[in-house]
Amino acid sequence: MGEPERAIDCDGLTRSFPAGVALDALTLDVRRGEVLALLGPNGAGKTTTMRLLNGVLQPDRGTATVLGLDPWTDGEAVRHRTGVLTENAGLDERFTALENLEFVGRLRGMGGDEARRRGGELLERFGMSDRADVRVQGFSTGQRKRVALARALLHDPELLFLDEPTSGLDPAATRDVVELIGSLASDHGRTVVLCTHFLGEAGKLASRMAVLFRGVLHAFGTPEELARDLWSAFEVRLDLGAAASGPLLARLGELGPVHGAAPTSSGALVRLEQRDDIPAVVAACVAAGAEVYAVEPRDPNLEDLYFAIEARAAGTVAAGAP
Amino acid sequence: MSAGRLDHAAIRAVLRKDLTAIGRSKAVVLPMLVVPIILLVLLPASVGLAAQDRSIDIDRFLSLLPSGLTEPITGRPPDEQLIVLVLGYLVAPLFLIVPLMVSAVIAGDAFAGEKERKTLETLLHLPARDRDLYVAKLLVGFLPSVAVAWVGFALYCVVANLVAWPVMHRPFLPTAQWAVLILWVAPAVAAVGLGIMVRVSIRVSNTQEAQQLGGAVVLPLVILAVGQTTGLMLAGTGPTFLVGCAAWALAAWLNVRGARAFTRERMAARL
Repeated sequence: MGEPERAIDCDGLTRSFPAGVALDALTLDVRRGEVLALLGPNGAGKTTTMRLLNGVLQPDRGTATVLGLDPWTDGEAVRHRTGVLTENAGLDERFTALENLEFVGRLRGMGGDEARRRGGELLERFGMSDRADVRVQGFSTGQRKRVALARALLHDPELLFLDEPTSGLDPAATRDVVELIGSLASDHGRTVVLCTHFLGEAGKLASRMAVLFRGVLHAFGTPEELARDLWSAFEVRLDLGAAASGPLLARLGELGPVHGAAPTSSGALVRLEQRDDIPAVVAACVAAGAEVYAVEPRDPNLEDLYFAIEARAAGTVAAGAP
Repeated sequence: MSAGRLDHAAIRAVLRKDLTAIGRSKAVVLPMLVVPIILLVLLPASVGLAAQDRSIDIDRFLSLLPSGLTEPITGRPPDEQLIVLVLGYLVAPLFLIVPLMVSAVIAGDAFAGEKERKTLETLLHLPARDRDLYVAKLLVGFLPSVAVAWVGFALYCVVANLVAWPVMHRPFLPTAQWAVLILWVAPAVAAVGLGIMVRVSIRVSNTQEAQQLGGAVVLPLVILAVGQTTGLMLAGTGPTFLVGCAAWALAAWLNVRGARAFTRERMAARL
Protein backbone atom coordinates (compact mmCIF):
# COMPACT_ATOMS: atom_id res chain seq x y z
CA MET A 1 0.00 0.00 0.00
CA GLY A 2 1.47 3.36 -1.00
CA GLU A 3 1.80 6.38 1.26
CA PRO A 4 -1.22 8.69 1.26
CA GLU A 5 -0.88 11.74 -0.96
CA ARG A 6 -1.67 14.03 1.91
CA ALA A 7 0.80 14.40 4.76
CA ILE A 8 -1.82 16.04 6.97
CA ASP A 9 -5.56 15.90 6.82
CA CYS A 10 -7.64 17.38 9.58
CA ASP A 11 -11.35 17.84 9.86
CA GLY A 12 -13.12 19.94 12.45
CA LEU A 13 -10.19 19.89 14.86
CA THR A 14 -11.25 21.69 18.02
CA ARG A 15 -9.50 22.29 21.31
CA SER A 16 -10.46 24.41 24.28
CA PHE A 17 -8.65 25.41 27.45
CA PRO A 18 -10.11 26.94 30.59
CA ALA A 19 -9.32 30.36 29.11
CA GLY A 20 -11.42 29.66 26.01
CA VAL A 21 -11.45 28.00 22.61
CA ALA A 22 -7.90 27.83 21.23
CA LEU A 23 -8.83 26.14 17.96
CA ASP A 24 -12.30 25.95 16.50
CA ALA A 25 -13.18 23.33 13.88
CA LEU A 26 -9.98 23.54 11.87
CA THR A 27 -10.27 21.75 8.54
CA LEU A 28 -7.30 21.70 6.19
CA ASP A 29 -4.91 19.42 4.41
CA VAL A 30 -1.22 19.51 3.57
CA ARG A 31 0.12 17.62 0.57
CA ARG A 32 3.36 15.68 0.74
CA GLY A 33 6.33 17.84 -0.17
CA GLU A 34 4.33 21.01 0.30
CA VAL A 35 5.23 23.99 2.46
CA LEU A 36 2.12 25.31 4.18
CA ALA A 37 2.32 28.68 5.91
CA LEU A 38 0.21 28.91 9.02
CA LEU A 39 -0.28 32.62 9.53
CA GLY A 40 -1.90 34.59 12.28
CA PRO A 41 -1.14 36.87 15.19
CA ASN A 42 -0.22 35.65 18.68
CA GLY A 43 -3.05 33.61 20.18
CA ALA A 44 -4.41 32.66 16.76
CA GLY A 45 -4.07 28.94 17.47
CA LYS A 46 -0.94 28.14 15.43
CA THR A 47 0.97 26.49 18.27
CA THR A 48 -2.12 24.60 19.44
CA THR A 49 -2.53 23.30 15.89
CA MET A 50 1.08 22.12 15.89
CA ARG A 51 0.67 20.40 19.25
CA LEU A 52 -2.53 18.68 18.15
CA LEU A 53 -1.00 17.48 14.90
CA ASN A 54 2.05 16.10 16.69
CA GLY A 55 -0.01 14.21 19.27
CA VAL A 56 1.03 16.35 22.20
CA LEU A 57 -2.49 17.60 22.83
CA GLN A 58 -5.73 15.69 22.43
CA PRO A 59 -8.52 17.33 20.42
CA ASP A 60 -11.90 17.90 22.06
CA ARG A 61 -13.56 17.19 18.71
CA GLY A 62 -12.58 16.49 15.15
CA THR A 63 -10.13 14.14 13.53
CA ALA A 64 -6.63 14.38 12.16
CA THR A 65 -4.39 12.13 10.12
CA VAL A 66 -0.68 12.84 10.03
CA LEU A 67 1.50 10.72 7.73
CA GLY A 68 -1.35 8.26 7.61
CA LEU A 69 -1.56 7.96 11.41
CA ASP A 70 -3.84 9.34 14.09
CA PRO A 71 -1.57 11.69 16.03
CA TRP A 72 -3.40 11.08 19.27
CA THR A 73 -3.57 7.28 19.31
CA ASP A 74 -0.27 6.80 17.42
CA GLY A 75 1.51 9.83 18.83
CA GLU A 76 4.78 8.05 19.43
CA ALA A 77 4.95 6.77 15.83
CA VAL A 78 4.02 10.21 14.49
CA ARG A 79 6.67 11.95 16.59
CA HIS A 80 9.31 9.51 15.33
CA ARG A 81 8.64 10.83 11.82
CA THR A 82 8.21 14.52 12.57
CA GLY A 83 10.66 17.18 13.61
CA VAL A 84 9.61 20.23 15.60
CA LEU A 85 11.18 23.60 16.08
CA THR A 86 9.32 25.35 18.87
CA GLU A 87 9.11 29.12 19.02
CA ASN A 88 11.42 29.09 22.01
CA ALA A 89 14.48 27.13 20.91
CA GLY A 90 14.12 24.94 24.04
CA LEU A 91 17.80 24.12 24.42
CA ASP A 92 19.17 23.01 27.76
CA GLU A 93 21.65 25.72 28.73
CA ARG A 94 23.59 23.38 30.97
CA PHE A 95 24.83 21.46 27.95
CA THR A 96 26.83 22.16 24.82
CA ALA A 97 25.22 22.45 21.40
CA LEU A 98 26.39 18.96 20.45
CA GLU A 99 25.27 17.47 23.78
CA ASN A 100 21.79 18.91 23.22
CA LEU A 101 21.66 17.17 19.86
CA GLU A 102 23.14 13.96 21.22
CA PHE A 103 20.44 13.75 23.91
CA VAL A 104 17.66 14.07 21.35
CA GLY A 105 19.40 11.59 19.06
CA ARG A 106 19.64 9.02 21.85
CA LEU A 107 16.02 9.60 22.78
CA ARG A 108 15.11 8.96 19.16
CA GLY A 109 16.91 5.64 19.33
CA MET A 110 20.24 6.57 17.75
CA GLY A 111 23.50 5.36 19.22
CA GLY A 112 25.73 7.95 20.88
CA ASP A 113 28.31 7.89 18.04
CA GLU A 114 25.66 8.19 15.35
CA ALA A 115 23.90 11.05 17.16
CA ARG A 116 27.19 12.94 17.59
CA ARG A 117 28.23 12.36 13.98
CA ARG A 118 24.89 13.47 12.57
CA GLY A 119 24.70 16.37 15.04
CA GLY A 120 28.21 17.48 14.05
CA GLU A 121 27.27 17.42 10.36
CA LEU A 122 24.17 19.52 10.92
CA LEU A 123 25.96 22.02 13.13
CA GLU A 124 28.55 22.41 10.40
CA ARG A 125 25.80 22.90 7.82
CA PHE A 126 24.36 25.69 9.98
CA GLY A 127 27.74 27.32 10.52
CA MET A 128 27.89 26.29 14.16
CA SER A 129 30.70 23.72 14.12
CA ASP A 130 33.05 26.06 16.00
CA ARG A 131 30.46 26.32 18.81
CA ALA A 132 29.57 22.62 18.93
CA ASP A 133 31.37 22.00 22.21
CA VAL A 134 30.42 25.27 23.89
CA ARG A 135 27.63 25.41 26.45
CA VAL A 136 24.48 26.95 25.03
CA GLN A 137 24.19 29.42 27.93
CA GLY A 138 26.10 32.20 26.17
CA PHE A 139 24.55 31.70 22.73
CA SER A 140 22.70 34.47 20.90
CA THR A 141 19.08 33.94 19.84
CA GLY A 142 20.20 33.26 16.28
CA GLN A 143 22.76 30.68 17.38
CA ARG A 144 20.17 28.94 19.54
CA LYS A 145 17.72 28.88 16.67
CA ARG A 146 20.28 27.28 14.39
CA VAL A 147 21.11 24.58 16.95
CA ALA A 148 17.39 23.96 17.48
CA LEU A 149 16.88 23.65 13.73
CA ALA A 150 19.71 21.15 13.58
CA ARG A 151 18.00 19.23 16.37
CA ALA A 152 14.70 19.20 14.48
CA LEU A 153 16.45 17.76 11.41
CA LEU A 154 18.63 15.26 13.29
CA HIS A 155 16.59 12.18 12.35
CA ASP A 156 15.78 13.38 8.82
CA PRO A 157 12.04 13.76 9.49
CA GLU A 158 9.38 13.44 6.80
CA LEU A 159 7.33 16.28 8.23
CA LEU A 160 8.61 19.43 9.89
CA PHE A 161 6.69 21.78 12.13
CA LEU A 162 8.61 25.03 12.29
CA ASP A 163 7.37 27.70 14.66
CA GLU A 164 8.94 31.05 13.77
CA PRO A 165 12.14 29.50 12.38
CA THR A 166 13.81 32.79 11.49
CA SER A 167 12.86 35.02 14.40
CA GLY A 168 16.02 36.39 15.95
CA LEU A 169 18.22 35.53 12.97
CA ASP A 170 20.31 38.10 11.16
CA PRO A 171 19.52 38.69 7.47
CA ALA A 172 22.23 36.33 6.19
CA ALA A 173 21.16 33.54 8.54
CA THR A 174 17.52 34.17 7.65
CA ARG A 175 18.33 33.79 3.96
CA ASP A 176 20.22 30.54 4.66
CA VAL A 177 17.38 29.11 6.71
CA VAL A 178 14.75 30.12 4.16
CA GLU A 179 16.83 28.47 1.41
CA LEU A 180 17.28 25.38 3.54
CA ILE A 181 13.56 25.05 4.23
CA GLY A 182 12.83 25.57 0.55
CA SER A 183 15.31 22.87 -0.45
CA LEU A 184 13.95 20.46 2.16
CA ALA A 185 10.63 20.58 0.39
CA SER A 186 11.70 20.92 -3.23
CA ASP A 187 14.80 18.69 -3.29
CA HIS A 188 14.12 16.26 -0.49
CA GLY A 189 10.35 15.97 -0.65
CA ARG A 190 9.87 16.95 2.98
CA THR A 191 6.59 18.45 4.08
CA VAL A 192 6.82 21.64 6.11
CA VAL A 193 4.24 23.40 8.24
CA LEU A 194 5.61 26.86 8.78
CA CYS A 195 4.12 29.00 11.54
CA THR A 196 5.34 32.51 11.01
CA HIS A 197 4.70 36.20 11.44
CA PHE A 198 7.03 37.02 8.57
CA LEU A 199 4.93 37.30 5.47
CA GLY A 200 7.92 37.65 3.16
CA GLU A 201 9.27 34.35 4.37
CA ALA A 202 5.89 32.68 3.92
CA GLY A 203 5.55 34.18 0.45
CA LYS A 204 8.93 32.80 -0.63
CA LEU A 205 8.40 29.33 0.76
CA ALA A 206 4.76 28.39 0.94
CA SER A 207 2.58 27.22 -1.89
CA ARG A 208 -0.54 27.60 0.25
CA MET A 209 -1.37 29.53 3.34
CA ALA A 210 -3.83 29.13 6.16
CA VAL A 211 -4.75 32.25 8.10
CA LEU A 212 -5.97 31.81 11.65
CA PHE A 213 -7.50 34.40 13.95
CA ARG A 214 -8.59 33.56 17.46
CA GLY A 215 -8.63 29.87 16.69
CA VAL A 216 -10.73 30.15 13.56
CA LEU A 217 -9.46 29.45 10.05
CA HIS A 218 -10.36 32.50 7.97
CA ALA A 219 -8.61 31.67 4.74
CA PHE A 220 -6.91 28.64 3.22
CA GLY A 221 -5.48 28.20 -0.26
CA THR A 222 -2.93 29.55 -2.70
CA PRO A 223 -2.45 33.33 -2.73
CA GLU A 224 -4.29 33.46 -6.08
CA GLU A 225 -7.26 31.56 -4.69
CA LEU A 226 -7.39 33.78 -1.65
CA ALA A 227 -7.20 36.89 -3.81
CA ARG A 228 -10.09 35.65 -5.95
CA ASP A 229 -12.06 34.97 -2.83
CA LEU A 230 -11.38 38.43 -1.47
CA TRP A 231 -11.59 40.63 -4.49
CA SER A 232 -13.87 40.42 -7.52
CA ALA A 233 -11.59 42.62 -9.60
CA PHE A 234 -7.88 42.92 -10.23
CA GLU A 235 -5.83 45.83 -11.41
CA VAL A 236 -3.86 46.37 -14.58
CA ARG A 237 -1.39 49.19 -15.02
CA LEU A 238 -1.27 50.46 -18.61
CA ASP A 239 1.85 52.27 -19.79
CA LEU A 240 0.72 54.63 -22.57
CA GLY A 241 3.72 56.94 -22.52
CA ALA A 242 1.59 59.72 -21.02
CA ALA A 243 -1.45 60.14 -18.82
CA ALA A 244 -4.60 58.66 -20.39
CA SER A 245 -6.93 61.26 -21.89
CA GLY A 246 -10.49 61.79 -20.67
CA PRO A 247 -12.08 60.34 -23.83
CA LEU A 248 -9.89 57.23 -23.61
CA LEU A 249 -10.86 56.69 -19.97
CA ALA A 250 -14.52 57.15 -20.89
CA ARG A 251 -14.17 54.63 -23.72
CA LEU A 252 -12.50 52.11 -21.42
CA GLY A 253 -15.27 52.68 -18.88
CA GLU A 254 -17.83 51.69 -21.45
CA LEU A 255 -16.27 48.24 -21.86
CA GLY A 256 -18.32 45.58 -20.04
CA PRO A 257 -15.59 43.92 -17.95
CA VAL A 258 -14.01 47.19 -16.85
CA HIS A 259 -15.02 48.19 -13.32
CA GLY A 260 -13.21 51.47 -13.40
CA ALA A 261 -10.30 53.35 -14.93
CA ALA A 262 -8.16 56.10 -13.44
CA PRO A 263 -5.34 58.12 -14.99
CA THR A 264 -1.73 57.74 -13.86
CA SER A 265 1.29 59.85 -14.86
CA SER A 266 2.26 57.29 -17.51
CA GLY A 267 -1.14 55.91 -18.54
CA ALA A 268 -4.01 54.42 -16.57
CA LEU A 269 -4.92 52.02 -13.82
CA VAL A 270 -7.78 49.81 -14.93
CA ARG A 271 -9.85 47.45 -12.74
CA LEU A 272 -10.99 44.35 -14.59
CA GLU A 273 -13.12 41.37 -13.79
CA GLN A 274 -10.48 38.87 -14.86
CA ARG A 275 -7.15 38.47 -16.58
CA ASP A 276 -8.84 37.33 -19.85
CA ASP A 277 -10.24 40.82 -20.30
CA ILE A 278 -6.80 42.38 -20.87
CA PRO A 279 -6.75 41.94 -24.71
CA ALA A 280 -10.07 43.81 -25.08
CA VAL A 281 -8.69 46.69 -23.05
CA VAL A 282 -5.53 46.83 -25.14
CA ALA A 283 -7.60 46.69 -28.36
CA ALA A 284 -9.78 49.56 -27.15
CA CYS A 285 -6.72 51.65 -26.42
CA VAL A 286 -5.24 50.96 -29.86
CA ALA A 287 -8.57 51.69 -31.53
CA ALA A 288 -8.65 55.03 -29.72
CA GLY A 289 -5.21 55.87 -31.12
CA ALA A 290 -3.24 55.34 -27.97
CA GLU A 291 0.14 53.60 -28.04
CA VAL A 292 0.42 50.76 -25.51
CA TYR A 293 4.00 50.30 -24.29
CA ALA A 294 3.33 47.84 -21.47
CA VAL A 295 0.54 46.09 -19.61
CA GLU A 296 1.36 45.17 -16.03
CA PRO A 297 -1.18 43.13 -14.08
CA ARG A 298 -0.85 44.07 -10.45
CA ASP A 299 -1.34 40.91 -8.38
CA PRO A 300 -1.95 41.50 -4.70
CA ASN A 301 1.07 40.57 -2.61
CA LEU A 302 0.93 38.45 0.51
CA GLU A 303 0.78 41.47 2.77
CA ASP A 304 -2.24 42.79 0.88
CA LEU A 305 -3.91 39.42 1.27
CA TYR A 306 -3.03 38.97 4.92
CA PHE A 307 -4.24 42.35 6.02
CA ALA A 308 -7.38 42.06 3.95
CA ILE A 309 -8.12 38.71 5.58
CA GLU A 310 -7.33 40.16 8.98
CA ALA A 311 -9.68 43.06 8.32
CA ARG A 312 -12.41 40.70 7.13
CA ALA A 313 -11.88 38.54 10.22
CA ALA A 314 -12.22 41.61 12.39
CA GLY A 315 -15.58 42.25 10.76
CA THR A 316 -14.46 44.93 8.36
CA VAL A 317 -15.44 44.37 4.78
CA ALA A 318 -12.40 44.56 2.59
CA ALA A 319 -13.98 45.85 -0.56
CA GLY A 320 -12.34 46.39 -3.88
CA ALA A 321 -8.84 45.65 -5.05
CA PRO A 322 -5.83 46.20 -2.81
CA MET B 1 -0.54 5.83 24.68
CA SER B 2 1.68 4.25 27.27
CA ALA B 3 1.05 0.58 26.71
CA GLY B 4 3.78 -1.96 26.14
CA ARG B 5 7.25 -2.46 27.50
CA LEU B 6 9.48 0.26 28.81
CA ASP B 7 11.78 1.90 26.27
CA HIS B 8 15.10 1.46 28.03
CA ALA B 9 17.03 3.55 25.48
CA ALA B 10 14.75 6.54 26.06
CA ILE B 11 14.93 6.11 29.84
CA ARG B 12 18.73 5.84 29.68
CA ALA B 13 18.90 8.98 27.50
CA VAL B 14 16.93 11.06 30.03
CA LEU B 15 18.83 9.54 32.97
CA ARG B 16 22.16 10.22 31.34
CA LYS B 17 21.28 13.84 30.62
CA ASP B 18 19.77 14.63 34.00
CA LEU B 19 22.46 12.86 36.04
CA THR B 20 25.14 14.66 34.03
CA ALA B 21 23.38 17.95 34.74
CA ILE B 22 23.26 17.13 38.45
CA GLY B 23 26.95 16.24 38.40
CA ARG B 24 27.77 19.59 36.78
CA SER B 25 25.78 21.70 39.20
CA LYS B 26 27.78 22.75 42.24
CA ALA B 27 24.58 24.07 43.80
CA VAL B 28 23.20 20.52 43.81
CA VAL B 29 26.34 18.44 44.28
CA LEU B 30 27.76 20.37 47.22
CA PRO B 31 24.68 20.05 49.47
CA MET B 32 24.33 16.43 48.34
CA LEU B 33 27.86 15.71 49.57
CA VAL B 34 28.27 18.07 52.49
CA VAL B 35 24.94 17.44 54.24
CA PRO B 36 25.31 13.64 54.22
CA ILE B 37 28.93 13.91 55.37
CA ILE B 38 27.86 16.09 58.29
CA LEU B 39 24.78 14.05 59.17
CA LEU B 40 26.05 10.56 58.45
CA VAL B 41 29.74 10.82 59.33
CA LEU B 42 30.78 13.85 61.37
CA LEU B 43 27.73 14.05 63.63
CA PRO B 44 27.71 10.32 64.51
CA ALA B 45 31.48 10.42 65.00
CA SER B 46 31.20 13.32 67.44
CA VAL B 47 28.32 11.75 69.30
CA GLY B 48 30.14 8.42 69.33
CA LEU B 49 33.27 10.04 70.80
CA ALA B 50 31.12 11.65 73.48
CA ALA B 51 29.52 8.28 74.13
CA GLN B 52 32.92 6.85 75.10
CA ASP B 53 32.46 8.72 78.36
CA ARG B 54 31.39 5.86 80.57
CA SER B 55 30.23 8.23 83.31
CA ILE B 56 27.04 9.02 81.39
CA ASP B 57 24.16 7.18 83.01
CA ILE B 58 21.78 5.73 80.44
CA ASP B 59 19.69 3.73 82.89
CA ARG B 60 17.14 6.53 83.25
CA PHE B 61 16.76 6.73 79.48
CA LEU B 62 16.39 2.99 79.10
CA SER B 63 13.88 2.86 81.93
CA LEU B 64 11.55 5.02 79.85
CA LEU B 65 11.39 2.35 77.16
CA PRO B 66 9.34 -0.86 77.30
CA SER B 67 11.56 -3.47 78.90
CA GLY B 68 11.28 -5.85 75.93
CA LEU B 69 12.75 -3.25 73.62
CA THR B 70 15.80 -2.45 75.73
CA GLU B 71 17.11 -6.00 75.80
CA PRO B 72 19.49 -5.44 72.80
CA ILE B 73 21.16 -2.72 74.91
CA THR B 74 20.88 -4.02 78.44
CA GLY B 75 22.06 -7.46 77.35
CA ARG B 76 25.49 -5.99 76.57
CA PRO B 77 28.38 -5.30 78.98
CA PRO B 78 27.80 -1.96 80.77
CA ASP B 79 30.72 -0.17 79.07
CA GLU B 80 29.35 -1.03 75.60
CA GLN B 81 25.76 0.00 76.28
CA LEU B 82 26.05 3.74 75.67
CA ILE B 83 28.08 3.54 72.47
CA VAL B 84 25.87 0.80 71.04
CA LEU B 85 22.76 2.80 71.95
CA VAL B 86 24.11 5.91 70.25
CA LEU B 87 25.83 4.47 67.18
CA GLY B 88 23.69 1.39 66.78
CA TYR B 89 20.26 2.91 67.34
CA LEU B 90 19.95 6.67 67.94
CA VAL B 91 21.55 7.79 64.65
CA ALA B 92 19.44 5.40 62.56
CA PRO B 93 16.80 8.03 61.63
CA LEU B 94 19.44 10.03 59.78
CA PHE B 95 19.76 7.21 57.27
CA LEU B 96 16.13 7.61 56.31
CA ILE B 97 16.09 11.40 56.37
CA VAL B 98 19.09 11.90 54.11
CA PRO B 99 17.86 9.82 51.12
CA LEU B 100 14.42 11.36 51.57
CA MET B 101 15.94 14.84 51.41
CA VAL B 102 18.14 14.08 48.43
CA SER B 103 15.31 12.49 46.45
CA ALA B 104 12.98 15.37 47.29
CA VAL B 105 15.48 18.00 46.15
CA ILE B 106 16.21 16.27 42.84
CA ALA B 107 12.65 15.19 42.10
CA GLY B 108 11.38 18.72 42.71
CA ASP B 109 13.33 19.69 39.60
CA ALA B 110 12.04 16.76 37.52
CA PHE B 111 9.36 18.52 35.49
CA ALA B 112 9.24 21.94 37.16
CA GLY B 113 12.90 22.39 36.18
CA GLU B 114 12.08 21.54 32.55
CA LYS B 115 9.33 24.17 32.62
CA GLU B 116 11.65 26.71 34.19
CA ARG B 117 14.36 26.07 31.60
CA LYS B 118 11.73 26.13 28.81
CA THR B 119 12.82 22.69 27.63
CA LEU B 120 9.58 20.88 28.48
CA GLU B 121 7.80 21.53 25.20
CA THR B 122 10.72 20.15 23.21
CA LEU B 123 10.71 17.06 25.43
CA LEU B 124 6.98 16.55 24.87
CA HIS B 125 7.45 16.74 21.09
CA LEU B 126 9.93 13.85 21.20
CA PRO B 127 8.81 10.26 20.70
CA ALA B 128 9.43 9.06 24.29
CA ARG B 129 6.23 7.69 25.81
CA ASP B 130 4.66 9.32 28.85
CA ARG B 131 5.42 6.37 31.11
CA ASP B 132 9.06 6.23 30.02
CA LEU B 133 9.48 9.92 30.81
CA TYR B 134 7.89 9.44 34.22
CA VAL B 135 10.03 6.40 35.05
CA ALA B 136 13.18 8.18 33.89
CA LYS B 137 12.43 11.18 36.08
CA LEU B 138 11.76 8.89 39.05
CA LEU B 139 15.08 7.14 38.57
CA VAL B 140 16.90 10.47 38.28
CA GLY B 141 15.81 11.16 41.87
CA PHE B 142 16.02 7.61 43.14
CA LEU B 143 19.52 6.58 42.08
CA PRO B 144 21.44 9.46 43.67
CA SER B 145 19.42 9.27 46.88
CA VAL B 146 20.10 5.55 47.29
CA ALA B 147 23.73 6.04 46.31
CA VAL B 148 24.13 8.74 48.96
CA ALA B 149 22.48 6.49 51.58
CA TRP B 150 24.61 3.47 50.73
CA VAL B 151 27.92 5.27 50.34
CA GLY B 152 27.12 7.29 53.47
CA PHE B 153 26.42 4.09 55.36
CA ALA B 154 29.68 2.48 54.19
CA LEU B 155 31.59 5.52 55.47
CA TYR B 156 29.53 5.53 58.65
CA CYS B 157 30.41 1.88 59.35
CA VAL B 158 34.13 2.67 59.07
CA VAL B 159 33.84 5.76 61.29
CA ALA B 160 31.52 4.13 63.85
CA ASN B 161 33.75 1.07 64.20
CA LEU B 162 36.83 3.28 64.62
CA VAL B 163 35.12 5.47 67.20
CA ALA B 164 33.79 2.46 69.09
CA TRP B 165 37.00 0.45 68.89
CA PRO B 166 38.44 1.60 72.26
CA VAL B 167 35.26 0.31 73.92
CA MET B 168 34.18 -2.59 71.72
CA HIS B 169 37.58 -3.93 70.56
CA ARG B 170 35.82 -5.35 67.51
CA PRO B 171 33.75 -4.12 64.52
CA PHE B 172 30.08 -4.08 65.46
CA LEU B 173 28.55 -2.59 62.29
CA PRO B 174 26.95 -3.46 59.94
CA THR B 175 24.43 -5.76 61.52
CA ALA B 176 21.61 -7.66 59.77
CA GLN B 177 19.16 -5.10 61.08
CA TRP B 178 21.15 -2.18 59.68
CA ALA B 179 21.36 -4.03 56.38
CA VAL B 180 17.57 -4.26 56.30
CA LEU B 181 17.26 -0.57 57.19
CA ILE B 182 19.75 0.62 54.58
CA LEU B 183 19.10 -1.81 51.75
CA TRP B 184 15.35 -2.20 52.16
CA VAL B 185 13.73 0.59 54.18
CA ALA B 186 15.80 3.61 53.10
CA PRO B 187 15.21 3.10 49.34
CA ALA B 188 11.50 2.57 50.08
CA VAL B 189 11.29 5.83 52.02
CA ALA B 190 13.14 7.61 49.19
CA ALA B 191 10.63 6.15 46.72
CA VAL B 192 7.73 7.44 48.84
CA GLY B 193 9.28 10.91 48.79
CA LEU B 194 9.72 10.64 45.03
CA GLY B 195 6.13 9.58 44.52
CA ILE B 196 5.07 12.81 46.22
CA MET B 197 7.68 15.15 44.80
CA VAL B 198 7.44 14.13 41.13
CA ARG B 199 3.71 14.73 41.22
CA VAL B 200 4.24 18.09 42.88
CA SER B 201 6.83 18.90 40.23
CA ILE B 202 4.31 18.14 37.48
CA ARG B 203 1.79 20.56 38.93
CA VAL B 204 3.91 23.61 39.69
CA SER B 205 5.71 25.95 37.35
CA ASN B 206 9.19 26.15 38.86
CA THR B 207 11.58 24.28 41.13
CA GLN B 208 11.27 26.74 44.00
CA GLU B 209 7.51 26.23 44.14
CA ALA B 210 8.00 22.47 43.94
CA GLN B 211 10.32 22.50 46.91
CA GLN B 212 8.12 24.76 48.98
CA LEU B 213 4.99 22.74 48.31
CA GLY B 214 6.80 19.41 48.35
CA GLY B 215 8.60 20.29 51.58
CA ALA B 216 5.26 20.78 53.31
CA VAL B 217 4.18 17.31 52.17
CA VAL B 218 7.47 15.54 52.86
CA LEU B 219 8.09 17.16 56.26
CA PRO B 220 5.61 14.91 58.12
CA LEU B 221 7.49 11.92 56.72
CA VAL B 222 10.73 13.33 58.08
CA ILE B 223 9.13 13.85 61.49
CA LEU B 224 7.77 10.32 61.39
CA ALA B 225 11.20 8.98 60.51
CA VAL B 226 12.88 10.92 63.31
CA GLY B 227 10.32 9.83 65.87
CA GLN B 228 9.95 6.19 65.02
CA THR B 229 13.14 4.81 63.53
CA THR B 230 15.04 4.28 66.79
CA GLY B 231 12.05 2.43 68.22
CA LEU B 232 11.84 0.40 65.04
CA MET B 233 15.49 -0.60 65.32
CA LEU B 234 14.96 -1.62 68.93
CA ALA B 235 11.93 -3.65 67.88
CA GLY B 236 14.11 -5.91 65.74
CA THR B 237 14.82 -7.01 62.19
CA GLY B 238 11.37 -8.51 61.48
CA PRO B 239 9.37 -5.36 62.27
CA THR B 240 11.93 -3.25 60.39
CA PHE B 241 11.50 -5.45 57.34
CA LEU B 242 7.71 -5.22 57.62
CA VAL B 243 7.83 -1.43 57.85
CA GLY B 244 9.98 -1.51 54.72
CA CYS B 245 7.30 -3.60 53.01
CA ALA B 246 4.67 -1.06 54.01
CA ALA B 247 6.83 1.80 52.71
CA TRP B 248 7.37 0.00 49.39
CA ALA B 249 3.64 -0.64 49.09
CA LEU B 250 2.93 3.06 49.70
CA ALA B 251 5.66 4.04 47.21
CA ALA B 252 4.24 1.67 44.60
CA TRP B 253 0.73 3.05 45.11
CA LEU B 254 1.92 6.65 44.87
CA ASN B 255 4.06 6.03 41.81
CA VAL B 256 1.54 3.92 39.91
CA ARG B 257 -1.02 6.65 40.47
CA GLY B 258 1.57 9.24 39.52
CA ALA B 259 2.45 7.42 36.30
CA ARG B 260 -1.24 7.17 35.39
CA ALA B 261 -1.84 10.82 36.16
CA PHE B 262 1.19 11.94 34.18
CA THR B 263 0.34 12.57 30.54
CA ARG B 264 1.98 14.89 28.05
CA GLU B 265 -1.54 16.19 27.34
CA ARG B 266 -1.81 17.51 30.89
CA MET B 267 1.68 18.89 30.79
CA ALA B 268 1.17 20.57 27.42
CA ALA B 269 -2.18 22.01 28.47
CA ARG B 270 -0.36 23.87 31.26
CA LEU B 271 2.37 25.30 29.07
